[in-house]
Amino acid sequence: MRLPAKNGGIKINRYHQFKMMFLAQLKLTLREKQAWFWGIFFPVILMVIFMVIFSGNSDEEFKTEVAVVDPSPNPASEMMLSQISGLPVFEVKSGKPVARDRAEEWVKDQEVDAAIILPGSAEASSVTLLINKENEQGAAAQAVSGILDKFIQQANLMAAGASPKYDLQYESITSGTNELDYTDFLLTGMIALSIAQGGMFGMVDLVDMRRKGLIKRLRMTPANMGIFGLSDMVMRLLFSIVQIILLSLIGVLVFGANLYINPFTLIIVFLIGALSFNALGYFFSSFSKTTEAYMGVANICSFLMMFLSGVFFPIETMPEWIQPISSILPLTYFAEGLRESMVYETGIATAGLWAGIGVMTLWGAVTFLLGSLLYKRKAIAADR
Amino acid sequence: MTVLEVRNLQKSFGQIKAVRDISFSVNAGEVFTIIGPNGAGKTTTLEMIEGLVSPDNGEIHFGDLDWNKHAVSIKKKIGVQPQSSAMFDLLTPEENLNLFASFYDHARSAKEILEIVNLTEHRKNHVKKLSGGQRQRLAIGLALISDPEIIFLDEPTTGLDPQARRNIWDIILHLKELGKTTILTTHYMEEAEKLSDRVCIVDQGNVITLDSPSALIEKLTDEREIRLSFLDGEGAAVDADIFSKVLESVSKTEREGATLKIWAAKPEETLLDLFKFTKEKSFGVEQVSIREMSLEDVFIAFTGKEWRD
Repeated sequence: MRLPAKNGGIKINRYHQFKMMFLAQLKLTLREKQAWFWGIFFPVILMVIFMVIFSGNSDEEFKTEVAVVDPSPNPASEMMLSQISGLPVFEVKSGKPVARDRAEEWVKDQEVDAAIILPGSAEASSVTLLINKENEQGAAAQAVSGILDKFIQQANLMAAGASPKYDLQYESITSGTNELDYTDFLLTGMIALSIAQGGMFGMVDLVDMRRKGLIKRLRMTPANMGIFGLSDMVMRLLFSIVQIILLSLIGVLVFGANLYINPFTLIIVFLIGALSFNALGYFFSSFSKTTEAYMGVANICSFLMMFLSGVFFPIETMPEWIQPISSILPLTYFAEGLRESMVYETGIATAGLWAGIGVMTLWGAVTFLLGSLLYKRKAIAADR
Repeated sequence: MTVLEVRNLQKSFGQIKAVRDISFSVNAGEVFTIIGPNGAGKTTTLEMIEGLVSPDNGEIHFGDLDWNKHAVSIKKKIGVQPQSSAMFDLLTPEENLNLFASFYDHARSAKEILEIVNLTEHRKNHVKKLSGGQRQRLAIGLALISDPEIIFLDEPTTGLDPQARRNIWDIILHLKELGKTTILTTHYMEEAEKLSDRVCIVDQGNVITLDSPSALIEKLTDEREIRLSFLDGEGAAVDADIFSKVLESVSKTEREGATLKIWAAKPEETLLDLFKFTKEKSFGVEQVSIREMSLEDVFIAFTGKEWRD
C-alpha cells in the first residue's frame, strides 16, 4: 500500500487536525449508545449485583453468634471462655455462659449459629459443639466448626507444652477481615474488567469504519492517519479514566470500599493495562471481516478472562489446574496491579508488580505487532 | 490543457484481470464520464487514479505530479466521492465537513458547501438520519471541501429517485460552471449523455471508445428507426410495408399488427415518400416517430452487450 510521501514543504496544522479529530471522536463516543451501555452502565450494574450478592455480610465483616455453656466452671473452661470471647469472629450471645437448656433452645430456634459446651472439668478433654441439623451444611456452621477445630488444636498444643502459635493464628484472621475486604477486591477487579473490556470491545469501531469504507475515505485526503490513531487512543484513555472514577466513587460511597491509592503506581498500571487491552482489540480487528465476527472473538476472550483472572473471586479459590491459565492472562495482572496500587498503596519499585507489568506489556506488544502485520498483509493481498 | 493523463494502466487481483489496458487524458474544465457494465474495471481504474490502489503497470500523471513523489500534493488537488458514501454517521453534515476541512491547509467553509449541495436545512441532523439522496449530496460536499481542481464522482446517482438524481445533476453542472474538472462514472446512459463533455466506454478492462456523446452517436450507422401506426388496421400496414421495402434508403422493415417499423438511412426522404403513399391510399396514420440513437445504442454497438441499468 502506498503511504503518503513526505509532503513537499507544505505545512498542515497538526494541532488543529488533532483537535478536530479528537472532538469528532468525543462526539462519536458520546452519541454511541452502545458505548454508554457497555462502558459505563454494564460495569456499574455488574458491580452492584456482585457486591449485593457476595458482600452481604461484609458490613459487619464475618461474625457469627454463638452461645457458650460452661456447665461447671474450672480453670480450663475459664481459659477457653476468655479466649473464645476474644475471637473477633465469634459474638457470644448475652456476653456470658448460659445454661445448656437455654443454649439448646437458641440453637433450635436458630437464634445462634452454634452453641459451644466447654469441658466440665480440667481433666475432661471434650468440647461439644451444638449445631442445628438444618444448618449443618450452612456457611456459618462450617465456619464455627472450622474455627473451633483450630482453636482446640492450639489449646491441645498448649496443654502439651508446645510453644503457642496462638497469636499468629489470631493475627491472620484479623488481618484478613480488615484489609482484604471483598468490596475492595471486587471494586478493583471490576475496574480492571471494564477497562479491559473497553479495549477489547472498543476496537469494533475500526472494523465498522473499514467495512463502511471510512478508512479508505480518510486515506483519500491528506489527513495524517497517525494523528487520527492518536486522537482515538486519547479518547479511549479518557473514557477509561471516567470508568475508574465512576466505579471508585460508587464503590467508596455506596459500598464503603477502602482505597489507599499510590498515584504513581496507578498511572503506570493503568496506562500499560489500557494500552495492552487496546492492542488486543486492535489485533481482533485485524482479522475480523465483520463487526459480528469481531464481537464474537471479543466476547469469548472477555468471558474467559472474566472468570479466570480473579476479577470476582481470588484465583487461589479456583481449581489448581486452572491456575496456570490464569497466570498467563493479562487481566490477572491488570486486576492485581490495580489492587496493589489502589488498595495496598504499593510503591512502584516492587518486583511482583513489575513482573505483572511485564506480562501485560508483552501481551500488548505482541498483539499490536501481529495486528499491524495482518493489516499490512491484507492491504497487499486484497488491495481494494 | 490536460489535467490528468493515464497511460496503459493494468491491474490484476489474483487471477482476475480487472484492468487490462486503459489510457486516456482529461482536459481542464470538462466532465469526463467513464461508463461500462458492472465489473468492467471502472472503480478499480478510479481507485488507481485516486491513489488507493497501486497499478501493476502504467502511469498516472496529474500535470507534473505523480503518486510516487507527490502523494500529499495530489491529495490536496483532488476531491473524491467514493461509491460507498463513507462518512461519520453519528456526526452532523456540518461536523463532517468541518472535520474534513481540518485535513487541508485551504478549505472552503462548511456553510458554503452546505449551500452548494443544498443541505443547509439538514446541517444539524445526524448523518444516519439523512435520506439516500441527502447522504450522496453530503458525500459530494465532502469531496468539494478542499476546493479541489479535479473531482471524482463514483456513481453518484446510483439508487436515487429521479428527483434526487436531478439535484445531483444540477450540482455537477454547477461545478462545471465554476470551471472544475469532473471525472464521473455512472450506470445511467441518460446521465452520461446529458452531463458529459466526453464519454469513455470501458469493457473488460479495456477502453472501447472515447469521444463526445454526439460524436459517438454519429459514429454509429446513420440509419434511424421510423415507426408508424395505422388507423385502418393491419391491411394498411401490410400495404405500406410492401411499398416501403422497395424504397432505396430502407434497409429493413418489421411489422407487428398495425404497427410498422422501418430502418432507413435517409429517414426524412423515406417519411416523405411514405406520406405521399398514405395520402394516395387515404390511410389514416395514428402515430409517427423517428427514434433518435442514444448512447445506449452506442454502448450496444461497441460492446455487443445489452445495457442494464
